Amino acid sequence: MLGILSSLLTAGGWFPVGQAGGVSQTPEALFQQIFTVFVVLGSLVGIVVIGYMLYNAYKYRAGTGRGAEADDSKKVTRPEPGQIPTGSGGGKKLFLSFGISAVIVLSLIVWTYSALLFVETTPEQQESDLTVEVVGEQFAWQFHYPNGETSVNEMVVPEGAMVELEVSTADVFHNFNIPKFRTGADAMPGHTLETWFVADERGNFTAECREICGAGHSGMNAQVRVVSQEEFEEWYGGSASGSNGGAGNGTASNASGANADLRTAATIGGVGA
Amino acid sequence: MSEHADGGHLPPRSSVKRWLVTTNHKDVGILYIVTALFFLVFGGILALLIRTQMWSPGGTILSGMGYNQAVTGHGLLMVFWFISPFAFGLANYVVPIQIGAEDLAFPRLNALSYWMYLFSGLLFGTSYFLGSSLQTGWTIYAPLNVPTYIPDVAAVGSVAAILGLLLFVASVTVSSVNFLTTMYRMRAKGLRMRDLPLFSLSILLTVWMMLFAFAALLSALFILSADNILGTTYFANEAGGAMLWTHLFWFFGHPEVYIVFFPALGIMAETFQTFSGKRIVGRKWFVLAMALVALQSFVVWMHHMFLTGINLPVKTIFMATTIGISLPFDLMMFALIYTLIKGKIRFTVPFLWNLGAVILFIVGGITGVFLGAVVLDYQFRGTYWVVAHFHYVMVGGATAMFGGLYYWFPKMTGKMYDRRLGLWNFLTYFVGFNLLYFPMFVVWETPRRVFDYSEGFTPWHRVATLGAFLLAFSFVIMFYNLAKSIYSGDPAPDNPWEYGSSIEWSIPSPPPLDNFPKGIPSYASGKLEFLSEEEAIEVRDGTAPSGRGAAAAADGGTVTATDAALETSAEPALEAAHEEEHADHASWWPVTVSLSAFVLFLGLSGIQFQYFLWPGLLAIAFFIAYLGIEGARRDGFASIHALMVGLGGAGFLVVLQLLAIDKGGLGAAIDGASPYFWVTTLGAFMGTASLISMGWESFSLPEPTLAEQWPFSAVGRWKLGMWVFLASDVILFGAFIGSYLFMRVANGWTDWHHLIPAEHVVMPGLINTYLLLASSFAVVVALEAAKHEKRKQLIGWLSLTFALGIGFLINKGIEWEHLAHLSTEAFPEGWFLTTNVASSTFFLTTGLHGAHVIIGLLITLFLITRAWTGAYMGEEESGTIEYFGLYWHFVDIVWLFLFPLFYIV
Amino acid sequence: MSQLRTYTIMFVVLMVFSTTQAMLEFTGLLEQYYWTIFAVIMVLSTIKAVVVAGWYQHLRYEPRSVTYMMASGLLAVVALTTAAAYSIL
Repeated sequence: MLGILSSLLTAGGWFPVGQAGGVSQTPEALFQQIFTVFVVLGSLVGIVVIGYMLYNAYKYRAGTGRGAEADDSKKVTRPEPGQIPTGSGGGKKLFLSFGISAVIVLSLIVWTYSALLFVETTPEQQESDLTVEVVGEQFAWQFHYPNGETSVNEMVVPEGAMVELEVSTADVFHNFNIPKFRTGADAMPGHTLETWFVADERGNFTAECREICGAGHSGMNAQVRVVSQEEFEEWYGGSASGSNGGAGNGTASNASGANADLRTAATIGGVGA
Repeated sequence: MSEHADGGHLPPRSSVKRWLVTTNHKDVGILYIVTALFFLVFGGILALLIRTQMWSPGGTILSGMGYNQAVTGHGLLMVFWFISPFAFGLANYVVPIQIGAEDLAFPRLNALSYWMYLFSGLLFGTSYFLGSSLQTGWTIYAPLNVPTYIPDVAAVGSVAAILGLLLFVASVTVSSVNFLTTMYRMRAKGLRMRDLPLFSLSILLTVWMMLFAFAALLSALFILSADNILGTTYFANEAGGAMLWTHLFWFFGHPEVYIVFFPALGIMAETFQTFSGKRIVGRKWFVLAMALVALQSFVVWMHHMFLTGINLPVKTIFMATTIGISLPFDLMMFALIYTLIKGKIRFTVPFLWNLGAVILFIVGGITGVFLGAVVLDYQFRGTYWVVAHFHYVMVGGATAMFGGLYYWFPKMTGKMYDRRLGLWNFLTYFVGFNLLYFPMFVVWETPRRVFDYSEGFTPWHRVATLGAFLLAFSFVIMFYNLAKSIYSGDPAPDNPWEYGSSIEWSIPSPPPLDNFPKGIPSYASGKLEFLSEEEAIEVRDGTAPSGRGAAAAADGGTVTATDAALETSAEPALEAAHEEEHADHASWWPVTVSLSAFVLFLGLSGIQFQYFLWPGLLAIAFFIAYLGIEGARRDGFASIHALMVGLGGAGFLVVLQLLAIDKGGLGAAIDGASPYFWVTTLGAFMGTASLISMGWESFSLPEPTLAEQWPFSAVGRWKLGMWVFLASDVILFGAFIGSYLFMRVANGWTDWHHLIPAEHVVMPGLINTYLLLASSFAVVVALEAAKHEKRKQLIGWLSLTFALGIGFLINKGIEWEHLAHLSTEAFPEGWFLTTNVASSTFFLTTGLHGAHVIIGLLITLFLITRAWTGAYMGEEESGTIEYFGLYWHFVDIVWLFLFPLFYIV
Repeated sequence: MSQLRTYTIMFVVLMVFSTTQAMLEFTGLLEQYYWTIFAVIMVLSTIKAVVVAGWYQHLRYEPRSVTYMMASGLLAVVALTTAAAYSIL
């Protein structure tokens, strides 16, 4: 149902989301787009409003500005000690400004709501290429793969894959985030929370913990290696070496079973540029 | 006028004793301000440690544990022990004057609030020396906050920190009751609620929020303390513990940030008006917007939880409410800005600070909208974007408050500050502030509470660290300026600010003890006048010549002749004048009670579970005996006092005997007790004695002759205070019951029965319901007896109440004994506090209720003792019985819900 | 006097309602129609609370503003509990 809503909202084309069925935008690109708009708009509003205020403060200064000649007789009633306070009118201008700011703020939120729906509903609507269970513990990250492999503090994913993360914790509250791909989720006791990203760039990236979890919170980082499809299949189908504490060794039969969970490079499509 | 004997005598300002015993709101205000600045320095030093640590990625001077303590302490100290108390220092001083009152409604309670605040902060500070302190961040998330995950070395210190916070909440609750009662009952005639100066209005809304929000925090802290000291399993519960904490904490936490900010908003409005020489634009809308925000603040809390396991529909709702709350703020900022137009603006030091504050708040506010876009929040969560945002808004608020300090400094001290130093202060502050916090937006991807950041961020973090030191230096200038000016500043006139219009600018700088040398302030004629006693009485009774009091609004809020008669005992005007002179201004008990609380909580920080109960039991016996001793001293010896001493003594022996049985001999009991047990017991005894003495102390609180009191005009001062207190107690119990319901939903509502032994049946609950209902009935009949001056009946019915209450406790005791010691297949070790989440919720919730019953019964004994010697007779004097009745019936009502929820369904 | 009579009548009502609540469980009705009986029980408790508040605490005879203040507190915690419980459903 939310998927339908999402589609409706994207119909105008103006909204920064893709059509249901294909991942037209990565969360990373989405975030970048929205963030940029907010920064530009926010800076603009900030500069205009603060500038306007400082301008008026200067203009009406009592020393040598307009404030000096401002008469205390007709146009402006000045407060005197012992008066019961009254407003000084000006409601109309106030409402105009208020109305404009309300329109700006509300539009921004409605616009970003469709992006939220996209982020939330895509994993339901689209099968991911790879699902990794991420388990936070004091003070490391475990990664559990569909074939039963486990690695600690290192997650390997193939380039171009849409990866779904199921994040949970073995002990206290953590938060798992990969800044490069703009993806993250709380590791909350009692819950398994989902998020996803598209590994559209090869390289080594950092994942970090964003919720204070004890003495080792600072530096509770893991490495995210995005490798070529072939390299990944080798790593995954093989012994998943390069990690410590991996449970079990990959065998030939595992390899074929594992490959069934993955789409081949050819079928991973629709990834937006 | 008010310096005389009988406990009300106030020594001069230069003496230490003055500051220990004063109850005057201006003195208390100064105490708050100075103490808050001390905690600012304490929290600031921790901040400098943090920034020093972050000079290079990977840290420099602190270990992981040390760093976590620094960030936790910095947050807690700044949010709780600096910023709001600082605002309330200003509020204490200014608000009574602005509304035309001579003091707050309950001056001793006001002093008590202050001392509890000071000692709570000292207790927090002590936590660093009890091993290690709390390391969870100021948000104290579960399950990092329970013993399983608290490092052993930090076990005692963490509990001390939590209990310090708990004591602070008690201080805040007392303060809210005080301010609310004051602002509703002691305004000058003609000053309707909407006419209040904007600072007072902002404080009014702040204390309403405080009343409701802090009670939720109190319940969270009680449960957390129980999890840590008694071993209950709320927050460690796998299914719902972490989520429960986030709900409870943020339901408090969001209103808290407005509680912090609103006084600043009020100060911005006042200074913008005064220094532009214009009334605020759209005042009506400004006030409405403030009130709206205060209400809305309670329906946005889940925006701190967007990444937790809450469902998408509820996220959507809270996204909407969050954006909704930003809109009134927009309106208020515009109102301030438009006020400048056609103004006659003087760039005084207070104005600069407030202008700067508005700039900082606008930056902070805009970045807050970013956080309201949920999809962005997903990435900002737990990063320095959040840190930068809230420092801009919160410290932006503090900026306005420093402006307020400069603004009212001449009034409070009678001296002008040094303007040049003030300008340098502002400049270094503003530059330092932005150097410190703006880079945090640039390197926002740094996770919170982390010093291992990305190498590339280093230059920005270094700029921030330098900014921090510059900001710290600006305070050196501030303190020097203010201290120097107190001694050698130019004398300040009554009104150093042209266009200041609220009452404080019409009285001397500094004001005399009772604020208004020229007479009783009244706006009845449409503008401020100072009336003599006789004139005030004429206005009150409506016999004034036309023109004075004629403009009094007919909104049912005036003090009628009957009310005044009730409260000033219907004497001729002359008598009323004398009564006013007898206002008391000093008492030793606030500082003594607070010191006792410090000792008590210090002991509880480290007390062993097996010794937890005994200090309380011993203190109860001591209480009863002390009633007799103090009563004989105060009211003259009577047989009741001998009875109390006897009862107390006997009780003491009984408790000792029980202790001996429990531990296998008194010697073994003493050997097995840690020092914390003795400290707790000492604190309990000190507290008992101080509270009894404070209750018995005669402290005169004259009623204002003339006051605006809508909408509570027919409700007396004490009655209103009690009702306001009960409103916060509703939240406390509501949150406890709500926590139970939540845990039950989280663990599976109907599966809950598997967690409870079959032996837990309805009958004990039903019997207790009967007993409590009967006791409520007894109390109302007792009140009738008191009103009709039937002393023996009063004592009889009160004694019945007591007996029924004891019956309740005995029945509960038997029930608990049975459950704790049963041994079945499902529960081989019995079913008690630590067994499972169902037992935790059952015993803690009904235990909290039981504690309320015990307190009620102790008060009943106090009432019986006093009634015996003739107190509470008559329509007016019986008030105390009525106020107690309100409390007792409330306790009964809570049970009416506990009974079905914990026994039947 | 009539005040005393009112108090006594209220007391009897309270005792009867409390007994009824217990009986609903004792007779097994609760187990049979759980959520309906649950609602009935909570309504009975609410009525009892209103009686104690209105007459014993004298709220009926105080200015309405006191009732509004207490009701706001109650509303706040009911809202908190409902929203929190809903959020995890």
